[in-house]
Amino acid sequence: MKSTFRQSMKWLHTWVGLVVVWILFFMFITGTAGYFYKEITRWMEPERPLISPEVSKKQMLHLSQAYLTEHASEAERWRIQLPNSRDGNLRVRWTQAAKEGKRRGKRTHKILNPTTGQEVAELRATGGGFSLYRMHYRLHYMPRLVAYWIVGFCTMLMLIAVITGVIFHKKIFSDFFTFRAKKGLIGWLDIHNVLSVVALPFHFMITYSGLIFFLTTYMVLGFNLSLTDSQQDEFHKQVFPDTLAVEQAEIAQTLAPLTDMYLQTRKYWLEDTLDNVTIKYPNDVNASVNFERLETDITYNHSDEIFFNSNGKLMTVPAREFTPSGRIEDGFISLHEGQFANSVVRWLYLLVGLIGAAMVASGGILWTTKRKPKQDKKPNGADFGYRLVEQLNIGSFVGLPIAIGVYFCANRLLPVGLENRADWEINCLFISWALLLVYPAFRPAISAWLEQLKLAAVIFTFIPVLNFLTTDKHLAITLPIGDWNYAGFDLAMIAIGMSFSFAAYKVKQRIVSQVGNKSITSAVSKASTAKLAQNKGAM
Amino acid sequence: MSYFSDKINFISPRWLVFSRVVAAIFAGYALATTSTLFFGQLLLTSVGKYEAVHIGMLLSFPIYACAAMWVFSVASAQKAWIGLIKLNVILMIFTWLLVQANS
Amino acid sequence: MGVLLSLSFITMSCFCLAMEKHRKQIIMVELNACLSCFFRPLAWVLLISTFYMSSQLYGWTIGPVVFFGMLIGSLVPLILLLTYRAKAIPLVAILLPIVVYIS
Repeated sequence: MKSTFRQSMKWLHTWVGLVVVWILFFMFITGTAGYFYKEITRWMEPERPLISPEVSKKQMLHLSQAYLTEHASEAERWRIQLPNSRDGNLRVRWTQAAKEGKRRGKRTHKILNPTTGQEVAELRATGGGFSLYRMHYRLHYMPRLVAYWIVGFCTMLMLIAVITGVIFHKKIFSDFFTFRAKKGLIGWLDIHNVLSVVALPFHFMITYSGLIFFLTTYMVLGFNLSLTDSQQDEFHKQVFPDTLAVEQAEIAQTLAPLTDMYLQTRKYWLEDTLDNVTIKYPNDVNASVNFERLETDITYNHSDEIFFNSNGKLMTVPAREFTPSGRIEDGFISLHEGQFANSVVRWLYLLVGLIGAAMVASGGILWTTKRKPKQDKKPNGADFGYRLVEQLNIGSFVGLPIAIGVYFCANRLLPVGLENRADWEINCLFISWALLLVYPAFRPAISAWLEQLKLAAVIFTFIPVLNFLTTDKHLAITLPIGDWNYAGFDLAMIAIGMSFSFAAYKVKQRIVSQVGNKSITSAVSKASTAKLAQNKGAM
Repeated sequence: MSYFSDKINFISPRWLVFSRVVAAIFAGYALATTSTLFFGQLLLTSVGKYEAVHIGMLLSFPIYACAAMWVFSVASAQKAWIGLIKLNVILMIFTWLLVQANS
Repeated sequence: MGVLLSLSFITMSCFCLAMEKHRKQIIMVELNACLSCFFRPLAWVLLISTFYMSSQLYGWTIGPVVFFGMLIGSLVPLILLLTYRAKAIPLVAILLPIVVYIS
C-alpha cells in the first residue's frame, strides 16, 4: 500500500479502526456493563427485598426445599441460587418436563424472602442488566445470525487493528509511561497509546476470545467441510464433554433433606462457599443433587462440584475429560466472561473494560483531531466525511452513555402495567441514542460536545435522585443497612455523573480560551485575507 | 458509454483499494478455511480427528488476520490476489496429499 | 489484594525510575550511575515475586489474571501521578503498603 511495511500497517490501522470504531465502542460499553449485569438487574427490580445476612445457608436451603416441594413437585429440574456478593437474593428456578414436540419444558423463576420462605411480590417487567449484556454480542432489532456476523466482522477488524497497532508503534517499552498532557494532537495520541499499551494483554485476550466464542459460526465453511453432521455432534461431545447424564427411573421417592447434604459438603470443602444447588429428577429414585461452590479455577475444576443421590449419599461422578484444545477454548471463554471473578477482580474487569472503551473512543477522536487543521482551512467548510465522523463520534462517545442513562430512567418512569414494558425500555434507549446521533449535525462540533456532556452529567446524577423519589430502596436506606449491592449502583451513577461534569468543565475551559484567542486570530486572518485579495488584484 | 468507462476507471487508486479489501475479506477467509482443513489432516494421527479440527479452527483467526495484513502490505493489488490464490492452492494440494497418506 | 496492589505499584515505580527520562521527573537530585542501574533488576525481581505471590494466593489459573489486573490497576494512577504530580510518587509508593498494613 505504502512505501514501507510499517507505513502500510499504519494506514491499515487508521482505516480499519475508523470503519468499526462506533460499533466497537458500543460493544465495549455494553460488555463492560455486562460484567455487572446481575447487580444492574437487581437495581432494576426494586421490588426485591434487601439482603438479610443473619439467615444461614442451612436455613435458606431448608426453606427453598420446602417451597419447591410444595410448588414444583412435578418439575424435572430444580435449582437453588443462594445469595452471593453479586446478587443478594435467594432464588429458585424449576423446569417442567418438555411437552411433546417441544425442545424444552416451561421454566419458572422466583425470588424468595429468606426469612419467611415465601415468594416476593410480582416484579416489574424489565430487561434488566441482561438486556444490556445481550446487546454486546447479539445487538438488537435483527436476526441472531446477522448480529453474530456483524459482531464477528467488527471483532476481526479489531484484532487486525490491535496487531497492526503493535507493529507500527515503534517504542512500546520506552514510551510505556509517557503521557504528555498537552492539548490537541500530541495529547490525544498519547492518551490513545497509553490506554492501548497499558491494557494490551486484555485487548488481545478479549478480541481473540470474542472470536472463538462463535467458533463454529464464523468458521462454518471449514467446519462443514471437515466433519459431517453426525461427526459435528460427536465433536461437541469430545471437545466439551458434559457430566454423566442421569436417567429417570420413574419410581417415586422423596428427596432426603438438602441441609444434611450441605453439612457434608462443609466437611469436604472445609469452607463455606456454596453457591448453588441443582437437583435433577427431584422426586425420583435416580435423583441427583449437585452442590456447586464459587468457582476456584478459570477452567473446569472437578472438586468444585459434589454430587449426592436421592438418599443423600455421596456419589462419585467421573470428572469431565476436556481435550487440551477444548480446555484452552474453555479457558479463553471464561477469561472473557469473568464468571470466576470475585468482587475485586470484577472491579478490575470494569476498569480494563472502560480502558478498552476509552481506547476506542480516543482513536476516533484522534482521527478527527489529526485532520482538523486542514479541514478548518477549506473554503467551503469541512468535507462531508469529516463532519460525519465528527458527528458520529459525539453521538456515540457521549450519546450512548446518555442513552443507557435514559434506559435506567425508563425503568423507573414507565408505568408498571405497560404492555411489553421490557421492550419499551430498550426502545427508549435506542430512540434517545438515535436523537443524540443526529443532533450534532445541527450544531458546531465543540458546542455539541459540551451540550451532550452536560446532558450526560445531569442524567447520571439524576438517576439516584429518581431512585429516591420512586422507590424505598434508595441510598438513605441502603447505606445504613450496608446493602452494597443496591448502594453500589447509585454510587457508581454519581461517580459517572461527576466524571461527565468534569469533562464538560474541561471542554468549557477550552472554549473560553479559544474565544479569547479567536478575537486576536480573526483580526489577523482578516488582515491577511485583505492582503491576499490585494495581491490577487495586482496579478 | 464513455461516461461510464471514465467513471469506472479500474486503475484508479480507489478501485485498487477496493480490490484489496475484497481480497482480504474473501481470499483471506478462503485461506482460513483451507488452513483449517490442512491442520485437520496434519494433526489427524497425533491428536485425533476432532481435536485436530478444533485446533485448526482456533488457529484460523490469527491466520486470517495475518493474511489480511499481508494483502495491504504488498506493492500491488494484483500481487496480493495472486499470492493468496497461490497459498490457497498449495494448502489444498498438501491437504489432499495428507488425505491420501492418512487413508 | 491490597498487598498485591501496593507491590505492583512499587514494581512499576521502579521501572519508571529505571528510565532516565522519567527519573528526572520524579527525583530532583542526580543519582550516581551505580545506584540508577540498580532499579531495573530490582523492578524485575519485584515483578516476578508479585506474580509468584498472586499465584500462591489465588491459584495458578486465577492468580495470573489477578496479577495482570493489578498491574493495570496500579499503572493507571501511576501514569496520572507521573503527569500531574510526579514528585509524589515515592511518597505514595511508601505510604501505600503502610496503609494496607494498617487496614
